[in-house]
Amino acid sequence: MKFASQKVAYWFFASAMLLFVLQLVYGFIMGFAHVGLDVLHQWIPFNTARAVHTNLLVFWLLLGFMGAAYFIIPEEADQELWSPKLAYIQLIAFLAVGVTALAGYHFNVWEGRKFLEIPRPLDYLVVIDVLAFLLNIGMTMLKGKRHTTTSMVLYMGLLFAGLLYLPGMIYFDNQTMDSFYRWWVVHLWVEGVWELIMGGILCYLLIKLTGVDREVVEKWLYIIVGLTFLSGILGTGHHYYYIGAPRYWLIVGGIFSALEPLAFLGMAIYALAMAKKGGRKHPNKIALTWSLGCSIMACVGAGFLGIAHTIPQVNMYTHGTLVTAMHGHLAFWGAYAMIVLAIMAYAMPLLTGRKLWDSPVATWAFWTSNIGMSFMTGAFAVAGITQVNLERRMGFDFLAVQHEIEMHFIGLLLAASLFTIGILLFIWNFIRHGLPTDEALGADIESSPAEARS
Amino acid sequence: MLSKSQAKIFFLGGTGVFTAAFLALTFDTHRKVPAQTRQANITPAVDRGKHIWEDNNCMGCHTLFGEGAYYAPELTKAVERRGKPWLKMFLKDPEAMFPNDRKMVNYHFNDAQIEDVIAFLEWCGNVDLNGFPAKPPLAEKMKATSAAPVVTTKPVPAIFDMMACRGCHSLGGQGGMAGAALGAPPLDDVYKRKNKAELAAWISDPAKVKPDTKMPKIPLTPAQLEEIVTFLSSLGN
Ligand code: HEC
Ligand code: HEC
Ligand code: HEM
Ligand code: HEM
Ligand SMILES: [Fe+2]
Repeated sequence: MKFASQKVAYWFFASAMLLFVLQLVYGFIMGFAHVGLDVLHQWIPFNTARAVHTNLLVFWLLLGFMGAAYFIIPEEADQELWSPKLAYIQLIAFLAVGVTALAGYHFNVWEGRKFLEIPRPLDYLVVIDVLAFLLNIGMTMLKGKRHTTTSMVLYMGLLFAGLLYLPGMIYFDNQTMDSFYRWWVVHLWVEGVWELIMGGILCYLLIKLTGVDREVVEKWLYIIVGLTFLSGILGTGHHYYYIGAPRYWLIVGGIFSALEPLAFLGMAIYALAMAKKGGRKHPNKIALTWSLGCSIMACVGAGFLGIAHTIPQVNMYTHGTLVTAMHGHLAFWGAYAMIVLAIMAYAMPLLTGRKLWDSPVATWAFWTSNIGMSFMTGAFAVAGITQVNLERRMGFDFLAVQHEIEMHFIGLLLAASLFTIGILLFIWNFIRHGLPTDEALGADIESSPAEARS
Repeated sequence: MLSKSQAKIFFLGGTGVFTAAFLALTFDTHRKVPAQTRQANITPAVDRGKHIWEDNNCMGCHTLFGEGAYYAPELTKAVERRGKPWLKMFLKDPEAMFPNDRKMVNYHFNDAQIEDVIAFLEWCGNVDLNGFPAKPPLAEKMKATSAAPVVTTKPVPAIFDMMACRGCHSLGGQGGMAGAALGAPPLDDVYKRKNKAELAAWISDPAKVKPDTKMPKIPLTPAQLEEIVTFLSSLGN
């Protein structure tokens, strides 16, 4: 690492890992409930487990993004972080708000809108906290000696993620409009501005790990995020087919959302091409493995499994079934969980000065978690397709069908166990790195001539 | 090949154009939604129902307009599917209606709150969702291949709807949607299987006859029980 203030990133990453484990625990609670083992129902009913599971996901990903920004921006701007103290305050406040919200879900306190369950007063605190974060990063960039495309794209992604949170806070007595603006947050995040964040981090990692010329990598970054917005903004229409919005959304949403996979395909091709092109042999191979894996799994989970149910005629039957859960898991994992794990795999040795990148634990973590998640996706897929056929196409009753597909949830639980082992290995490796230290400052552990150039 | 600055223009230009298009369509959606959703029918009861819906995060188990969780039934057409009397009885005590099955939370709603929830669901059921949920396309074909059941043509007394029997059982060719999964048989020919005394014993407390049954105990006055048993056993004549 180059600047002492980059160390704050460590604490964001560590908190993220802690919350990730907790997310998995609540995933298991839901998985067991689906096979009829809902012994916790009285204390943690399904809707509590679900809100906690999905909110923890968003929460740890945001912590991961913030950590990534605190690590990347000082280096890109060639400037110490504006205020490390503000960063720590902002981290603690963010955790406090989050934990309060999660605790509230156990006492039936929430807003009851999927993914945006946080009660209104806490929403305002989240906004203030994110503003503090944006200020800190923004000031660092302003004072910086260097203004790179990578950092601009990353910053714009974070800024618009903050802004787009606001429409989700407007109240409508009309359920249709309520849902209409809920998607401004949910869809425009994951299929819009978060892709900028992902693109920015991926771009940074490729420059560092492959040694390909910055100008070339950043040109492609523009094209890819251009494709993202070109398709993703009007692609929001794929959530407006069947909620009471006008019919033209079937056409607009259908066409533009079908184009969305292009951005993910572009991202995968670009990452693989850069890795091939780059002559550089960076010693941290596992970070490159995570980066490339991320671009490929995002392309499968978001791109391929997204387009599989985005055509209105298909979505009519799959809308609101386990098919959506299948897509949701692999897309979030591939695009966002993996990019956060990738930047962590890259940053940890630099923060702590310990080169654990060759350790078999790191390699096992990658493969076990990815194979586990692929099987989970498969289990959701079989359950989802069976549900669509029996319930939506043949007209069997909901509960009767659920009992028919219980078996596939046993499969899900087995796959989830494999996945969890992978994640625990990753965290074990994370812990083995120890704490960040000033001794790692300026140490050239990357030892490669390309470093001097970038 | 594109230069970096051309790529930047592609990004900024594209984003500008499509954002503008999206905002224009959003504006138009605001104009059209009131008619399409029958916004004028949003009474205070519907709004109260929506608040109950949100305050309890019903969406954390159910879907509505196909959005939410995949643990419990889609509720957009719940009123049409089950009928109000059945829903009222169900919401009073969800577990009693589905003993030994997947659990819903019992919110101990009072009658006014139940009315509000049903008003909200009824309003949702009348929104024009561009054809969602579709009629199951294979259901007709399957019906054609199974034998036609016996269906009475006698007028069915109101008590069967009032006490939610037809929520689970079909009778006179109607109802039975909620019971299909539980194995609730049509009642048109139940006289063949149970005599008057057996019917009375069963209906007054099913679990006493068959402890693991999925039929709930429905609170009936002796007169109501009499009316039901008499009607059912008269179907054989
Ligand atoms: C813990 C999960 C859970 C929560 C929370 C929940 N439900 Fe349910 N609900 C179920 C399940 C499961 C069923 C299926 C019947 C059963 O097994 O009880 C159901 C059935 C229903 C039905 C009958 C639907 C039908 O077609 O048979 C209605 C109506 C209903 N719920 C309304 C609500 C409302 C209103 C709320 C919020 C106040 C709510 N539910 C919250 C799990 C839940
Ligand atoms: C929640 C669904 C439900 C409701 C409501 C319900 N039943 Fe049932 N009923 C069942 C089920 C399931 C069975 C089959 C039970 C079994 O065999 O365990 C059944 C069985 C019966 C039987 C015996 C049928 C036979 O062929 O032996 C009769 C009679 C009957 N119900 C009458 C009624 C009447 C009358 C009402 C209204 C007062 C009613 N049920 C309400 C679910 C329901
Ligand atoms: C990384 C990017 C993506 C992530 C994280 C993601 C995640 C999700 C999630 C969590 C849902 C459920 C949302 C809810 O019901 O509240 C969803 C729904 C959906 N996604 Fe994605 N998605 C991504 C990209 C895509 C792409 C590129 C497409 C299309 C090609 C797509 C198509 C859909 C569709 C059609 C639905 C609606 C499903 C339904 O009707 O129930 N997604 N997505
Ligand atoms: C131990 C592993 C996991 C298990 C057992 C698990 C299980 C589940 C279950 C049962 C649901 C609810 C489906 C329903 O409504 O019925 C769910 C929802 C969800 N989970 Fe997981 N999960 C796990 C890990 C993950 C991970 C790692 C991610 C993200 C990377 C994730 C993202 C999601 C999302 C986005 C939803 C909402 C999906 C939607 O609304 O369509 N889960 N999970
Ligand atoms: Fe979307």
